[in-house]
Amino acid sequence: MDSQGKERQLGKRLERGGEGEIYALRDRPDVIVKWYYPEVLDKRGEELHRKVEAMRGLRDAHMTRDVCWPLIRVFDQQQRWIGFAMYRARGVKMSFLAHALLYQRYFPGLDRRRVVGYLIRFVEIVQQLHDAGVCIGDYNLNNVFCVPSSDQVTLIDCDSYQLRVGGTFYPCPVGSPDMTPKEHQGVSFRHVVRTPRSEAFSLAIVLFKCLMLGRHPYDIVGGDDPVRNLRRGNFAYGRGQRDVPQGVWYELWRELPETIRDMFVTTFTVGADAPIQRATLSQWHVALSEYREAMAAGEHAVQLATPGRPQRSQVLYAR
Amino acid sequence: MATYRLNRDSDLIDNPSPRCACMLVLDTSASMFGQPIRELNAGVQAFISAIQEDDMAACSVELGVITAGGKVTEQLPFTTAMNISQCRQFTASGLTPLGSAMELALDRLEERTAAYRKAGVAYYQPWLVVISDGVPTDQWQAASVRARTLAQQRKLVVMPVGVEEADLDALSAFSTRPAKRLDGLKFREFFLWLSASMSRVSASSSTTDQVKLPPTDSWDSI
Repeated sequence: MDSQGKERQLGKRLERGGEGEIYALRDRPDVIVKWYYPEVLDKRGEELHRKVEAMRGLRDAHMTRDVCWPLIRVFDQQQRWIGFAMYRARGVKMSFLAHALLYQRYFPGLDRRRVVGYLIRFVEIVQQLHDAGVCIGDYNLNNVFCVPSSDQVTLIDCDSYQLRVGGTFYPCPVGSPDMTPKEHQGVSFRHVVRTPRSEAFSLAIVLFKCLMLGRHPYDIVGGDDPVRNLRRGNFAYGRGQRDVPQGVWYELWRELPETIRDMFVTTFTVGADAPIQRATLSQWHVALSEYREAMAAGEHAVQLATPGRPQRSQVLYAR
Repeated sequence: MATYRLNRDSDLIDNPSPRCACMLVLDTSASMFGQPIRELNAGVQAFISAIQEDDMAACSVELGVITAGGKVTEQLPFTTAMNISQCRQFTASGLTPLGSAMELALDRLEERTAAYRKAGVAYYQPWLVVISDGVPTDQWQAASVRARTLAQQRKLVVMPVGVEEADLDALSAFSTRPAKRLDGLKFREFFLWLSASMSRVSASSSTTDQVKLPPTDSWDSI
């Protein structure tokens, strides 16, 4: 039931997440409903309801288009709050775009111009959220949808976002160590306060993964897991080029404009320890826009290197 | 041997997906003859098909199979699911040298994770699934200590499953989690659960994250 007490029919279940299930709304294919599991509602129902209400208060015309923001409250037949309805995102998960073997299947004809186009849109949406006092916190390429036929980008799973409304702070209680800056590692995410600088670090990882077809910036040869490398600021590319994974990865890296490479190097080496050194969202926006213009002017290669045809010479870069 | 294999192993060079190694150690001793071995075979095939249906998991999950039936046989060396065209059918015969099968499995897992590190490929905690309907007939205590220690260090997920009259205590010794008993011969249900778990692991954005697994009630017995 919606808040007017009108009964709505749920369509088929689309997704089962950690906290609840996503259903289509029958007769309204553009609307979906998030229904929290009973045990989640028992434990944190009130808290969730308050947060979702605060989010509903924040919505504006821009947000509803670019992020799947909670729009309508949903109740069960006993008038108990069970979740919310939102617009359904169109497109394909960014994790398929940032995937050396799968991008061609899900994004036919993808080239660097289009990758950069999605990334510029992504940065703009995050900037728009930051302007509204909202931080994403839990960066996850499965939660960013890109429409293959256009440069449209939509963010989903927004109810975990960190926000501050009317003096109340709502944390982002979840996160992934691989996408989290050093200063927030090893702390319960529930107690973390994300900042534009911490967001800039996670965002740079998203940008790197897309431009590098799925490589994590802290994947290194002979190395530990990405999180340990992240904590040490052990970034293999850039100056010295030590321990870059075998394959086309160095070639992909070398194709990037120097400005962008420098911003990655700074963010992932000194910036791992010193948040102030990290490239900001507006710097990324400028650099990516310039990159797109340079590609349009024919100054940079547009096609993406294709893994799968290993060349001996590339192995040498890794040594 | 491992280093020679690595040079031919262009998959680790071309495919940057974080890997989830999944080793199956299967009891194919004589007592599995008949319906159990048929269900086991069908279950493994269903597992491979289900993983291949999930594009992300197909690029991430690497499957290895070792059988213990009379002798220890490496049926499938670690292969990324997308590259598996078919898996051999197993036959049931002989005793249950589960101890040496587990030793071999642990060696292979160690070699594989070393290959990941050498290629700069991130990996999730590998899985070692052991399925048996009886008791090991060889020395297995050393292998169990080795497996359990890795599980305690969170370097390995060991999932022991007992079929019918299996000795769950012996199987549990390989892991930090108690062995589960398969409800009847629900191999297919078990392997579909395993594939769903692998899908969750390969979809998680962090290789060090704790992944919430789906409920096991479709195949385990109380």
